[in-house]
Order: sequence, then C-alpha cells, then structure tokens
Amino acid sequence: MSEIKKIGCVIVSHGQVANELLSAAENVVGDLGHITAVSIGWHDEVESAKEQISRAIVQVSEGRGVLLLTDMFGGTPTNISAMFYEQGEVEIVTGVNLPMVIKVANQNTEIPLTQMADEVENQGKEAIYQAGDLLIPKKMIKDA
Amino acid sequence: MLESNVKIVNQLGLHARAAAQLVKLSIKFSSSVKIHRTDSNIEADAKSILSILTLAASRGTTIKITINGSDEEQALEEIEQLFINGFGEL
Repeated sequence: MSEIKKIGCVIVSHGQVANELLSAAENVVGDLGHITAVSIGWHDEVESAKEQISRAIVQVSEGRGVLLLTDMFGGTPTNISAMFYEQGEVEIVTGVNLPMVIKVANQNTEIPLTQMADEVENQGKEAIYQAGDLLIPKKMIKDA
Repeated sequence: MLESNVKIVNQLGLHARAAAQLVKLSIKFSSSVKIHRTDSNIEADAKSILSILTLAASRGTTIKITINGSDEEQALEEIEQLFINGFGEL
C-alpha cells in the first residue's frame, strides 16, 4: 500500500491529558508522526498557548488540513483552539477520548477534513458504553 | 469466500494491541476481512481497530473469520495463524 498524505491532528488539553492520550494511542498503533499534543498549563498566558498550538498545527500539517481534538467544550484549550477554526482547513472536535485519537491515527483512505471531523465526532460518541449493559444478559422485556 | 472459526487463546482477549495487530495484518490484503462472534450477530471489520473492539471478545470466545477477495487464501492462512499464536502474547 502506498503512503498517503494524512490529515494532521493536534490534541489540546488542560494539564498533561493530551500527552498521555497520544502516548496511549502510540502504544496501541505505533508511532504517530501526524499527531502531536499541546498541554495548556494551568497558569499559561493565552498568547503563549496560542503560539504553541500554532506551531503544532504547522508541525503536523501535510497539506490536507488539521484536526484539533480538545478536552472539553467551553474550556480554555477549546476556546483558544477555536481561534484557529477555518472550514475545511482547521476543524475542532471537543471531548477527545482514546477511540477518537485511534480513529485519526488510522487513515487508510483520503477523505476530506470535514468528513474526518464528522467521523471522529461520531466515533467518540459511539465508543461510550456502560460495560454492565454488555456483561449482564439483557433483561426480559416484560412490558412491551 | 472463505470462512473459518478460531478461538481467542491469549489471556487479555481481543484487546486494543491485539486488535491493532489484526488490523496491521488484514490491511495487507485486498480481500475484505470480517469477523464475528459465533454467539452473536455483531460483525466487525478486521481492518478497523475500533470496529474489532466492539466485539468485546475475551479469552475463550469463538470468532468466525470471513474473507472475500482475490488473495483470500493467503489472508486466511496468516490471520488464522495470528489467532492461534494468541497475537504473539502466549
């Protein structure tokens, strides 16, 4: 299979969450050159955080756009990331979890960034289960 | 189309790193590679880690592999071997 150009990705979070998510994903799928992490320190100035994200975007960009995965809607990492929003060039998806990072890690086909953003959003939502619902046999539905 | 049943033998079951190995092997082939638990109808694409993980297949689970395409024979042989070897974790 020939190497395809990948959509770049920056994970942006409070504290070290971003670094650790990336490290966990790399343990599963191997080195991920097209994904990087930016941890916004609790006391960082907005300008320095913005600068870090900006550099990260340049670092991972392969010309097909960059997806910013942030930890929480409404939080500072998301709010600063939102300043980089440019439809089709830089998209932002909030509430990052490990399945979302793995989704971005595995790119076998060239899809547009907006489609990737949709797929990652859906993947993140679909990957949430109450494990108990799967472990205990489904109760008989009495009142149909 | 080729089909085969295999048992999960490694202690951790079809977990993330095992799933990653299965994907790495499956994408080498042009054939489609589907797997599903013999005790349910949930099917997973063996070329997607996240799809495989939805099976939640622990040790002892029997998995049916279904391969369809021009290189299906080679694919089945290598994929079966990966399961038998417990994804290299035995």
